[in-house]
Amino acid sequence: MLRMTNLSKVYRTHMIETHALRGFEIDVREGEFVTVTGPSGSGKTSFLNIAGLLEEFTAGDYILDGVNVKGLDDNARSRLRNEKLGFIFQGFNLIPDLSLFDNVDVPLRYRGFNASERKRRIDDALTKVGLASRMKHYPAELSGGQQQRVAIARALAGSPKLLLADEPTGNLDTQMARGVMELLEEINAAGTTILMVTHDPELAVRTTRNVHIIDGQVSDLVRKTPSLAQTPVTA
Amino acid sequence: MFGYYFKLGLRSLRRNPLLTALMVLTLAVGVAASVSTLTILHMMSGDPIPEKSNRLLVPRFDNGPLDGWAPGDEPSDVQMSYPDVANLLKSGQGERRTALFGIAGPLEPPRKDMPAFISSGMAPTRDFFAMFDVPFLHGQAWTEADDARAADVVVLGRAMAEQLFGDADPVGKQVRLMGSPFTVAGVIDHWNPRPRYYKLVGGNTFGDADDFFIPFATAIRHEADNNGGMNCSSKREPGYAGLLASECTWLQFWFETRSATDRRDLQAWLDNYAGEQRKLGRFKRNVPARLYDVMEWMEELKIVDNDNKLSVWLAFGFLTLCLVNTIGLLLAKFSVRASEIGVRRALGASRREIFRQFLIETGVVGLAGGVLGLVLSFGALALIGMQGKEVAAMARMDWQMLTMTFVLSVAAAVLAGLLPTWRACQVTPAIQLKSQ
Repeated sequence: MLRMTNLSKVYRTHMIETHALRGFEIDVREGEFVTVTGPSGSGKTSFLNIAGLLEEFTAGDYILDGVNVKGLDDNARSRLRNEKLGFIFQGFNLIPDLSLFDNVDVPLRYRGFNASERKRRIDDALTKVGLASRMKHYPAELSGGQQQRVAIARALAGSPKLLLADEPTGNLDTQMARGVMELLEEINAAGTTILMVTHDPELAVRTTRNVHIIDGQVSDLVRKTPSLAQTPVTA
Repeated sequence: MFGYYFKLGLRSLRRNPLLTALMVLTLAVGVAASVSTLTILHMMSGDPIPEKSNRLLVPRFDNGPLDGWAPGDEPSDVQMSYPDVANLLKSGQGERRTALFGIAGPLEPPRKDMPAFISSGMAPTRDFFAMFDVPFLHGQAWTEADDARAADVVVLGRAMAEQLFGDADPVGKQVRLMGSPFTVAGVIDHWNPRPRYYKLVGGNTFGDADDFFIPFATAIRHEADNNGGMNCSSKREPGYAGLLASECTWLQFWFETRSATDRRDLQAWLDNYAGEQRKLGRFKRNVPARLYDVMEWMEELKIVDNDNKLSVWLAFGFLTLCLVNTIGLLLAKFSVRASEIGVRRALGASRREIFRQFLIETGVVGLAGGVLGLVLSFGALALIGMQGKEVAAMARMDWQMLTMTFVLSVAAAVLAGLLPTWRACQVTPAIQLKSQ
């Protein structure tokens, strides 16, 4: 699903070079739920941004669902992002003056679905996160947990192969966080691959695999859950 | 996606209502200033008869004395002497031709209860009506025979006909002009081109329609006084016969050619004619004959003076200032949208899509500015129109200017939006998403 080989990311200013990722290797298989942990500044966010095609990498290879993304132009990257990826952010990032319906509609518009298809997908996605009855509401009218559910619905509506989540429970209280985590687990169980950056070690142990990043490289910490024990997984 | 972005644009108007209101007002004021000055320029300088303006031609000679002339000078006079006009009328050149001059005199209504009053009119040939596409409400132009025998026939302007006869068809009825009974041949429908391009010399360029028209030959026979300018640079014998024989210039002349290419033939004929007149000793100066079509003639006579042009430039300068302000306001408006741009980019919008969305949004601001600008333009034109009747006639907006208002406003907004939109596209989604 996602394979990075000898990937590096260097931020350059005229004074210094910062190596955010170096010799980075990872292979995420279809159906996995991978958590990415690591101390601040270790390169987690750079990794997630590169995985999400939001940033370019400096060297190495990145194959996303069979597509080599190296050298793709902005249009091709945007299309790939739209078709294969779903994003969930710590800050929810809903557009405040769009209703829930219209928020979930955003990625579907870029995909070019017709009106009836979009409506069906929005209904399905909001039903899945339990907010179908509030589709005409605006984000400000919802709790943090509910907003994150809408963000999940938005990420799911386009049926992405890979869901990228950046500390999705970071802004939520424990109860809401548990709810969101259960929802993500349901989604994963239904077949969607999830890559989640988190600081929370408790969440990390709940998933198929935990990839620990230190100094821009993957450390060798690997966990397996019984459900996917038969799949050999390497980080 | 256009409809989607247009809807987002409308919705965005409601966001930061104060900023939006400022932008719309800034644009509207700039657009109104430009459109109102442009309207007046457009009314003054627009082609009054586009379908044939290049086939309606004014000839110009120089029959002035040698004094004060240097070789290479262009013709100095804008009117013609009677001998030249008589020759041109007889020439058979062009498809149609008319001489004309303004006349004024007492008009006696048929009704005894109405007193006589001074009215102004024109003395052209029958061809005049066809040449300038004059519409008729009743009857028609007088006949060629009327021209030939200088018959006492008259074509009335609509307002005059209504004043004299009410709504009734007055064709065949009589009115007294210059002390003689004239038979009404026809009544012109509403027709008041501005400027009155068919008679640009002699004032009243932006004035009201003529009250009446009588044949040129008839006016001459009645020795009608010229209601316009006259230039006599050499001696003349006294009396009307003296005027007709003199080199005084007081008449205007138009040819209509069958096609624009016939102009060359007409020019050749005029050159030949001027040469003959020089041989005869009438024309002293060696100045080539000139021909002007409608637009060239308006340009030559400077119907639109430099003040009008300057005011349009000033108004557009003001619009530019408004645009610079709008750029600043748009930059402010878009800068708070960085996180939305980040989200949209993450969800699959390419830079191109973001560019489209924000440019269409500025277009919507432009449309709103256009609506308000239109209202302000009408107000400005009404104010300008209060300066006088002639100005009021110019300060009218036609559908072309109406469309122009919207095009100008949207184009101005889009132009102002280019930089802010380009900046919006440069948003790095990764940073925006994390900084939430």
